[in-house]
Order: sequence, then structure tokens, then C-alpha cells
Amino acid sequence: MEILDIKGLSFTYPLAAAPALRNISFTVNEGDFIAVCGATGSGKSTLLRMIKPALAPLGEVTGDIKFKGSPVSECETSQIGFVMQDPDHQIVTDKVWHELAFGLENLGVPQPAMTRRTAEMASYFGIGDKFDRNISELSGGQKQLINLAAVMVTEPEMLILDEPTAQLDPITASDLINTVKKLNRDLALTVIIAEHRLEDVIPVCDKLLVIENGAVLAFGKPGDVLRRLYGHSDIMCGMPAAARISSMLGEKECALSVREGRELVRKYGNKKTLPGTNTEGACKKNAVLVFKDVFFRYERSSPDILRGTGFDVYENEIFCILGGNGSGKTTALSCASGILRPYSGTITVFGRKIKDYRNQSLYKECLALLPQDISTVFLRNSVREELEDAGGDNGALPFDLTPHLDKHPYDLSGGEKQLVALAKVLALKPKLLLLDEPTKGLDAASKQRMIVLLRKLTENGMTIVTVTHDVEFAAECADRCALFFRGEVVSAAAPEEFFSENSFYTTAASRITRGHFINAVTAGKAAELCRLNGRKAEET
Amino acid sequence: MRGFRELEPVVITIYYVCVIGTAMFIMHPVIIILSLLGAVAMFLTFDRKRKAGLHVSFFLLFMILAVINPIWYHNGVTVLFVVNDSPITLEALLYGIFAAAMIIAVLYRFRTFTMIMTADKLMHVFGKLSPKVSLILTMALRYIPMMQRQTVKVRSTQKALGIYKEDNIADTLKGEARIFSIMATWSLENGIITADSMEARGYGTHRRTAFSLFRFRASDALFLALCIIPTAIVAVSAALGETDFGFYPAMSEISCSPLALASYISYGILSFLPAVLEWKEGLRWKYLISRV
Repeated sequence: MEILDIKGLSFTYPLAAAPALRNISFTVNEGDFIAVCGATGSGKSTLLRMIKPALAPLGEVTGDIKFKGSPVSECETSQIGFVMQDPDHQIVTDKVWHELAFGLENLGVPQPAMTRRTAEMASYFGIGDKFDRNISELSGGQKQLINLAAVMVTEPEMLILDEPTAQLDPITASDLINTVKKLNRDLALTVIIAEHRLEDVIPVCDKLLVIENGAVLAFGKPGDVLRRLYGHSDIMCGMPAAARISSMLGEKECALSVREGRELVRKYGNKKTLPGTNTEGACKKNAVLVFKDVFFRYERSSPDILRGTGFDVYENEIFCILGGNGSGKTTALSCASGILRPYSGTITVFGRKIKDYRNQSLYKECLALLPQDISTVFLRNSVREELEDAGGDNGALPFDLTPHLDKHPYDLSGGEKQLVALAKVLALKPKLLLLDEPTKGLDAASKQRMIVLLRKLTENGMTIVTVTHDVEFAAECADRCALFFRGEVVSAAAPEEFFSENSFYTTAASRITRGHFINAVTAGKAAELCRLNGRKAEET
Repeated sequence: MRGFRELEPVVITIYYVCVIGTAMFIMHPVIIILSLLGAVAMFLTFDRKRKAGLHVSFFLLFMILAVINPIWYHNGVTVLFVVNDSPITLEALLYGIFAAAMIIAVLYRFRTFTMIMTADKLMHVFGKLSPKVSLILTMALRYIPMMQRQTVKVRSTQKALGIYKEDNIADTLKGEARIFSIMATWSLENGIITADSMEARGYGTHRRTAFSLFRFRASDALFLALCIIPTAIVAVSAALGETDFGFYPAMSEISCSPLALASYISYGILSFLPAVLEWKEGLRWKYLISRV
């Protein structure tokens, strides 16, 4: 049965030259799990917000949206649930129980019914033990789970999620997707989810909606849609590794999951291997940043966050630090940038101990840190003022910011914010750049651009240390990768070696090719190897 | 019956209004003594830390307050001695002692009030008065610490970017002013987004109810009765003038009429109720544990 029917929907923001949405038509059946994808600024968010009347932006609308046969503006607010991107944005109250009850309070539900429903939700989502806690004590993933529970408590018939995992690390992100899928399966709940991180979503969705420049590019079963989009490299680059390998090989059937991907690569021979990139000898140059037996804790009575951390970063390399939540990655970066001071051990930057840098000389043409929460970089009301403040030469930047100069930094998309922040940092001419989660909230195309940009910077003599959860990003851009665990570096190696030795903490491409190819950690490499070896004759 | 601190927060608040209100408006020696003893007993049964510091400072305060009245006020018929041509009278001294006892009793009650009424419970009481006020309070409780955290983050980011130097005061002030201005923007931005989220979740579409973790049980009703009836008796006898008491010029006699006696007993019950409940709870747990 049709639950949502959109016909000829176009939308133009006030004062905008071009429409944000053009002639969009599609229907959603009850119980469908729909994934919406498209680059940043393609109109995904605008479309999702149009479906939720309370959030619909102002502007010129034509066409109509029907929810269960009647215009969507006539439906009850609680019938359509909406989960936003930033977990903190949706939260209204200070306690978990109050957040869960908030929607019910608004509907004027009497106390006994509220007690029952909040209890039911807390049990279903497994957050019963956090019922009395302050929301600020929870992690991003837990907050997003509470947002989901707080929306589900009013029993919506359709759930819309706008990039719910953009601010989460990959493991919590896939947990959240699984929870959404479980809701879809258990309650036949209709789900529309926009995502950048498609590795987990594509294999479980019923239909895929691809939007480009505000128009529907394709809509249908994910396999069929991807099959049609093989040529669109900017859309394919965000797809699961299996799909990317299929598209590069021009397969008739598009593989979606790791399992299908494994079946696919096994159809190819594995005699020939790629020459291994030998980075070992070439890299052992000057050590730029050296950690030696560094110990750090936040308070005297709290446990050690860094426990004898030791690693070297060499000149002109991109060094990626990977690791789970709370393993001490970000703390290590803060210590390296002199914001936090370890209680034991030494950190050396360009051959000088960090303690010996006085009067901000550490930050003068030497070292700079870009934090995870990129909005803390901005202090002014426009990008132009921001860049003037930093005093850099805009012409010398390896990217163009002209279209954004007069915007407020807060109004930019995640990728644009990253670029402006980077421009601000580059004006300081650092020789050592520390990045904390630079790919958080970026779409696949911006991520690719980021990789190219970082490569270019190292060619110009910069050394980059980045902390990331994003294994695909690390595999493609790092010279060396290190795994952080319990405040220590437990292994450091070139990405090919690093990821092909790991079996869980590794890229999807590596999981697809493991046992078949050696050192194929990116989809590009895997496809290249397939092509090199050629297809095996069909087994009979 | 459950312990005093497990009662419904509104009931607890009503108790405090009754016990403090009557003690403050009836200046009668018996009532004041009962009030002070009850307040101290309650504090002792509730205070787990058992530190002497508070009692010492309260005692000093008591002495100062008690002495101030006879020094400044010389009314009264019984002159004890004369200092610098000013008579110190017994009536003024006793008045000072009882007034000080009343104030100390109220302070002890407030100490236990802050111990028992956590933010959650206060929020529940406000919610009963007005769901909107309680929503504003809970949003503020989330918002202010969030803003503080963000300010700290912005400051350390700016430090690591080395843009605002800490070498001289002018630069530091300029940097701080910028951080303040961006925090204002950040707050507005967040406010708009929160408003969106509230609207998306149906705020303002129906008459709001307030959800609470606390429920009104039979024991709350019983306690409420034990709290209201004695207060009513005390109030009636005070209104009829049965518990009137004057210190000046000479002290009046302590009335022993049936209604006055009833009001002393009533106030005694009211004053010692929480301490007795808490003591009983303690015994019950001891008994349960010994049985296990």
C-alpha cells in the first residue's frame, strides 16, 4: 500500500536563482526502507524536510506530497518522525527520561500512558540503565539512539532520518543503522534515510533514491540503480566497496555486500600480484614528531589515558592514527599540540622538546591543530573576515573559496567548513598539521577531494598527522597507519600491510579480497588486480 | 510508610511550608523549642557525613543573634545588670535567645531541604505549578553547561591555531571579545535548531502534560494528613489567641488551656515527623539485614 506519494515536486528557496528541487516524483510503499543518496547540496535534506511539514523550509512550492492519500500538511505531527544529523541538535531537555517523554508531553498524553510508553521504549532500545542520567554524559552514539527512541515513542508511521550517522564513528554508525533496520523489520515501519556512509545502508535497503542537482537521477532496487549509474563516478565513489569494484569491472550484476563482493572477485584469477609499494626505506628520514613514553591522565585520581605512548612521525608523510572510541587518539593529538601536558615522558617537535617552545612559538610557522568540532575554529561573521583575520594569501590556496566568501561560516556544509578551516590554518604556514577526524560529516566526493588536497600539501613539504575512524580514508591517503589501543600504539605500518593483516579493523575492500589477493586494501586496487588477472573460465 | 525522602516531592514541599511557616509566625517559647529540637533531630538523622563544622558555626551564629537583642533593646522589667548606663534586661535576653533559636531552626530545615530536594524533585514541583516553567528550567539546565563546554573548546582550538596570542593583555582581551561574540551567534543558531526540533516533535499542538518519575501513593496521602491536621490545629489555636505570648514589658504566662496543649502536641508531631520516619526506616533495614 502506498504511504507516501510525491508528484512533480519543485521547490525554490526565497531569493535563490535556481530551484533546490526540480520535478521530483516517487512513491513509497508501507514498510519500505528507502535510502536517499546524493552529494552535499544536491537537495537531499530539502526533500526530507519537505516531507515533514513542521520542518519544511519557506519558499516557492509546486507539485504535491500526499501522505496516506491526503496532503501531508494535514497529517498529525506525530505520524512522521524525524531524526536530525547532529545528535545534540535534536535534544531539548537535560535528562534521558525527560527527552523520551517530551513528545508525549506535547501530545498531552496522560501520566500512566506516558510511564508505560517510555518504559517500553527504554527497554526496546536497551537504554533502561541510562534512564536517570544526564544526556550530556552520554556519547554521540548513545545520544543518537535516544533521539531515535524519543521519536519512536510517539508511534510514527513513517521515520525520516537525515544523515543520522554523519557525526558518529563507524562502529556506532552501523549499530544505529541496524537498529533502524530492526524497527523497519519488527514494526513494518516505513523508513526514509539519507546517508553518506552507504557501506551499511545499501545492503539492507529496499529501494535507492539518487538525487543530483535537485532532480531524481534514479529510483529503484539498489542493484538496478547502481547498475545504471556505473558511469557516474562522483556518485559511485560513495557506494559500498563491492559496488565500486563491480562498476570498475563493468559487471552485469552489481554486488552490494561484502559477501556478494567476495563471490565476485572469486570469479577472477589470482595468479598475478601488484608490485608492493615499498615505503619502508624511503620514509626513514627526519623524525618530525616524536612521542617517547608519554603518560597522561586528566585528573590525579582518574586512570591513565596515554600509557607510555611512543611513536615517530617522519617528514613529509601522512600518518594516520586509527582506533576505537576512548582509546586516547584525540588526547594524543592535544598533547602533541601543547594544549594538554603529559605528566611523564617527552614529546619532541622538530627536534625540540615541546616544553621548550615559549610564548606561542610552537604555533608560529610550526604546528597547527584542526579539532574534531570544526565550528570551534570560526570566530567571525563571514568567511572573508575569517580569512582576513588569519592574514593568509587566498590566491596561494590549493582550492577555491570565492563562492563562499560572503557566507557565514556556520551556514556552510561540512565539507566547505573543513576547507575554510583548512584555509585559516594554512595561512599560519604550519610545517606540521594535526587533523582530528577531518572526514567527519563529509560526503564521498568531498572526501576524495580532501585526500587529493592532503597529498598535495605533503608534496609541498608539509607533514600531516591525522586521527580518524575512517578506515577507507586511511587506506587511501596514509603513508603509514597506526592502531591506538588503551593509550598505546600497538602497530604501525604502511596501509597495505596494516590493513591486509587486520581482519576486522580493516577496509571493506580488504575483507572482500582477503585470501584471494594480497595487499588489495582499496576498491581501486582490487579492481585493478581483477582486471590484471582476467576472468576465470566459467566453472562447469 | 516509606522514608521521608522517598515521598512525593510536592508532599515534601508542603511539609516544609507547614513546619517553617508555623514556626516563623508563632513566637511562642514551646513552639520554638519544639521546632529547634525537631529541626536538629531531623538534620542528625539525615546527615550521613556527621561533620561537626556546621553545628559549630550554627552555634556561634546562635550566640551572636541571641546577644545582639539585649545589647540594642532595653525594654523589660527585670534588669540583670547595667553596662554604660544601659540596662540589660532578662526579657530582652530571652527574646533574643528565642528569636535566634527560631532562625537557627529554619536554617537547619533549609539544610535538610537542599539535601533531600534534588534538581529532579524541584523540577517536578515546578512542573506541577506550570509545565512551561519546568520546561524552560530543564532546557536551561541543559543549555548552560553545554555553552560552557563549547566556550572551553573554542578557546583551546584558537590557542592551538595560535591566532590569538597570550603575550599581551590587549590581544587576549580582543580574542576573548571575539569568542564571546561567536558564542552569542552559536547560541542563537542552536536556539533556532532546538525550536525546530521542538516543533517537529509536536510542541504546541496540544495542551502539554508534564511527565514525572514520581507518583502519589497512599503513604503520601497519609503523610499529608499527618502534616495538614496538626498545622490546622496550631493555626486555629493561634487565630483564637490561645498561643499568644508576649515578652515585653514582662513575660506572659505559658498558656495551658486544652486547645493550647493540643497545639503544642500537634506541633511536636509535625516537627519530629521526618526524624521519626527516618529513624524507623533505619531500624527496618537493620532488622531486614539481621534477618538475612
